[in-house]
Amino acid sequence: MSHVIPYIAAIQEAIREEMERDDRVLYFGQNMATSPEDPFLKQFGPDRVRVTPISETAEIGIATGAAVAGYRPVVELYMAEFLLVATDQVVNEGTRFHFMSKGQVSVPMVMVAGYGFTAGWAGQHTGSIYGMFMGVPGLKVALPSTPADAKGLMTTAIRDDNPVLFFQNYLLLLDEGEVPDGEHAVPFGVADVKRAGSDLTLVATGYAVRTALGAAESLARRGVSVEVIDPRTIAPLDVDTILSSVARTGHLVLVDQATRHSSVAAVIAAEVAELGFSSLEAPISLVTALDSSIAYSKPVEEFVLPDEHKVVKAVEESLGLAPASA
Amino acid sequence: MAGGAAGDPGSGGGLDAAVAERLLETMWRIRAFEERLEPLKRSSMVLGLTHLSIGQEAVAAGVCTQLRDDEPVYSNHRANGHALAKGVDMGRLLAELMGRAEGCCRGLGGSMHVVDVAHGFLGATGVVGGNLPFAVGSALAGRLLGQDRPAVVFFGDGAAQTGIFAETLNLASLWQVPVVLVCENNGFAEFTPRSAHTRVERVSDLAAPFRVPAATVDGNDVAQVHAAFAHALALARAGSGPFLLECLTHRLSGHYVGDPGGYRAAVEDEAWRARDPIERLVRQAAAAGWFDAERSRAAEAAARDEVEAAVAFAASSPFPDLGLPAELTYAR
Amino acid sequence: MANANPTDGSAPAALGAERLAWMYTQMYRIREFEERVKSTFTEHPGILRGHTHLADGAEASIVGSVAALAPDDQIVTTYRCHGYPIALGTDMKLMMAEIYGKATGLCGGLGGSMHLYDVARGFLGGSGIVAQAIPHATGAAWAAQIRRRGQVVVCFFGDGASKQGAFHESLNIASVWKLPIVYVMENNHYQASTRTDQEDANAAHGEPLSTKAKAYSMEGVTVDGADPVAVHATLADALARARSGTGPTLVESLVYRLSAHGNLIAPPGVPLNYPEHEAIAIFGNRDEYEAALRGDPVPRFRHQLVTEGTLSAADADAIEQAAREEVDEAQRFALDSPWPAPDSGLDYVYA
Repeated sequence: MSHVIPYIAAIQEAIREEMERDDRVLYFGQNMATSPEDPFLKQFGPDRVRVTPISETAEIGIATGAAVAGYRPVVELYMAEFLLVATDQVVNEGTRFHFMSKGQVSVPMVMVAGYGFTAGWAGQHTGSIYGMFMGVPGLKVALPSTPADAKGLMTTAIRDDNPVLFFQNYLLLLDEGEVPDGEHAVPFGVADVKRAGSDLTLVATGYAVRTALGAAESLARRGVSVEVIDPRTIAPLDVDTILSSVARTGHLVLVDQATRHSSVAAVIAAEVAELGFSSLEAPISLVTALDSSIAYSKPVEEFVLPDEHKVVKAVEESLGLAPASA
Repeated sequence: MAGGAAGDPGSGGGLDAAVAERLLETMWRIRAFEERLEPLKRSSMVLGLTHLSIGQEAVAAGVCTQLRDDEPVYSNHRANGHALAKGVDMGRLLAELMGRAEGCCRGLGGSMHVVDVAHGFLGATGVVGGNLPFAVGSALAGRLLGQDRPAVVFFGDGAAQTGIFAETLNLASLWQVPVVLVCENNGFAEFTPRSAHTRVERVSDLAAPFRVPAATVDGNDVAQVHAAFAHALALARAGSGPFLLECLTHRLSGHYVGDPGGYRAAVEDEAWRARDPIERLVRQAAAAGWFDAERSRAAEAAARDEVEAAVAFAASSPFPDLGLPAELTYAR
Repeated sequence: MANANPTDGSAPAALGAERLAWMYTQMYRIREFEERVKSTFTEHPGILRGHTHLADGAEASIVGSVAALAPDDQIVTTYRCHGYPIALGTDMKLMMAEIYGKATGLCGGLGGSMHLYDVARGFLGGSGIVAQAIPHATGAAWAAQIRRRGQVVVCFFGDGASKQGAFHESLNIASVWKLPIVYVMENNHYQASTRTDQEDANAAHGEPLSTKAKAYSMEGVTVDGADPVAVHATLADALARARSGTGPTLVESLVYRLSAHGNLIAPPGVPLNYPEHEAIAIFGNRDEYEAALRGDPVPRFRHQLVTEGTLSAADADAIEQAAREEVDEAQRFALDSPWPAPDSGLDYVYA
């Protein structure tokens, strides 16, 4: 059984269900639980649900400390760029503790951050900055593209014994989709084939999955069969599913909202180049954002980001197809 | 300086007729501009996130009209009023908010990132508290260059709980940097009432432990803001250290255009409307014999005309060239 | 050696002779341990790598604080963290082995000098980055508040940390939430190589750094950190406030670190050692340093106890001899222990 809810509601549903299941789960951060009518505050009370001042370093550090002391905090960071205010706490504190203590402590916490608000939010609130965290040992990074995955990955994130960065996409917040009823956990490190195909492999992350699926649909109308893979977590990263797809298709195009050298696409390209080179019948192609800040003005904003047209063009080049007539 | 209680009718002390008229015109320009943004945003002429300062005009006017072009102002995400009061051209500001090539940042920055170097408007930042150290650095640079050029930075009360606030105050105090830190305390940090954020009632109370002199004024009384800032600016121009001026004020609008505002249910907007800074200045002016309500209506009409001209200018401006990102990602 | 911390966390009573002797014992053990770590640089060159920070000079503050804890209380520290676990009863052998990077160390050699943990004794660790463990302690205090078992967290940090945003943000939240926490700022008057009055607006004006508590509507108090009895009394008050739900306290404990900030920072190949204290090496102020040596809290406390008749000279000698033997044994154990297997760390990247 399933129900249809928006992406953001799916995330909230997972947090609520995990808080019901496990009273060690805490939920706090900026701009939440400000009214006594807040549903989380009403259901779980002020011990477990709290609003914080604008103090990112303390928010993430407090989550770390509460986790070390036995709780499982979920800290709402609001926007991904606000993680950067507290970079040491994200990258260099809780992520190290399990290792440095030889397993004496663990830090089960979830940092929730919205990213990629490319709707006129200009240079400081639009970045797809997940790539800069995927190489941090001890940190896991989830990047859901659908409401079902959003719920399932949040559930897993809360149950995981490590710090998890959970990136939610701002443009997807109100997208509706089928979400399984009740307990729903999506395992980390298991990619999902969002669309099966045989001619070419498209790997896309987060918001770019929608772009990739749109491109695959328009290519299907021309008889081109494209497989779309969503890794769902970028740390850990399921390279095997990608390699086995490329072994069948021989062609790989990577789609990512991030700038090219900070993209997940670049890492996947390196993995496939090393481990799947003999499968490739054409060069790997990356469709990413241009290496630029995101402009406020809409035409310039659109210009630097990947879109279906750019993906279709990359697929055509990889397969040696003539461009579709305009 | 004694802090005036919010809502004190105020005497208009320290102003004269000419200064009062300039403040009146400035506040009307800000009010008319921001009121026009609402329909422009709804019709998608203005993009993205737009933070309004309706009800807070007295702070921008009382502070920025006293500054020279070479005295830098650092603003925050709620920048329209500061920019207009500092001399940024209204047409170019609106063109920026509409993402046009003739905007002051050629459409790349938008509402949260307005910069106009010629008028000493050195920038707004979209990250709360992030602008505070810029002003200290700027004032330090002015001093090293031997220039009489203090810097001013606007911040909200929510910024006072960020770590960067404490780091900045300590250094500004230690190095005695001539910077005026202007807090617009509207009682809300984004959507959260102040009591949930801190046990310290006044932002100015935070200054003393850093040995930074401070004052709190009724930020809806432009005369009080003007007089208090004049005092702080004179100290800074004379090379003294930092000063924190807290202006108690209130947004009559939500956090951004379209904010449903449910969290503000407990706030009595009507009580604050009675403290509308424009209305109060008009009452003070009448009592002092500077000008009458007719003068205010004329200033309003002129401001609304200027806004319509700005709309026409901005709407006719083209969108920026797509080569701009490549051109502007790095300085060359 | 009396390792167990016999406090019951009840209201501050006059410290009995046995308790005072226990405190002197812990202070001497810490001093002996730190001096042995320091001499390792010359006596066993190459064993110690990276950066090591010593607590000599802060023993009275550390022991006075730890002596006031109840058994369930927890602590979070900085990278200058050897003293606290010694007072809490952590096995010195495991500590020295960790500092030497050996497989038998507290953390299997994965953490080293800056990253000690002993969760069973309430030592939740710290951070190698200035001030960054202050929010961790604050989070642990939130956990204690929810758990409602009367636990308090004590957060130790230096004066330099109070210039970090993490300090400001954490103390503000702790005050708003009335968390059961005591912030102990060990003001040793120097950052790595800067005098506090060169970087702190309060210090520059001769104000106590506990003044900073006012910015959070928090209790602030300054105590002579060379007097373990005074520190104990101050902490006992602050712990009682925290335990009763009244809220946090900022304690400024005035200490003087008797060694340089840390060992020499140099690329591999350059022999590491402990440079002279910054007072001399950077500021040329030998008088200040020698005055600090004359005020050394360890002999000062021994003198006080012996003069008062709390401890006989023979008992004090015995305590010192036992500590030396314990450190000898710890060092032998650490030297004789094997290095960890090269791939041992890969098991601990993720929980």
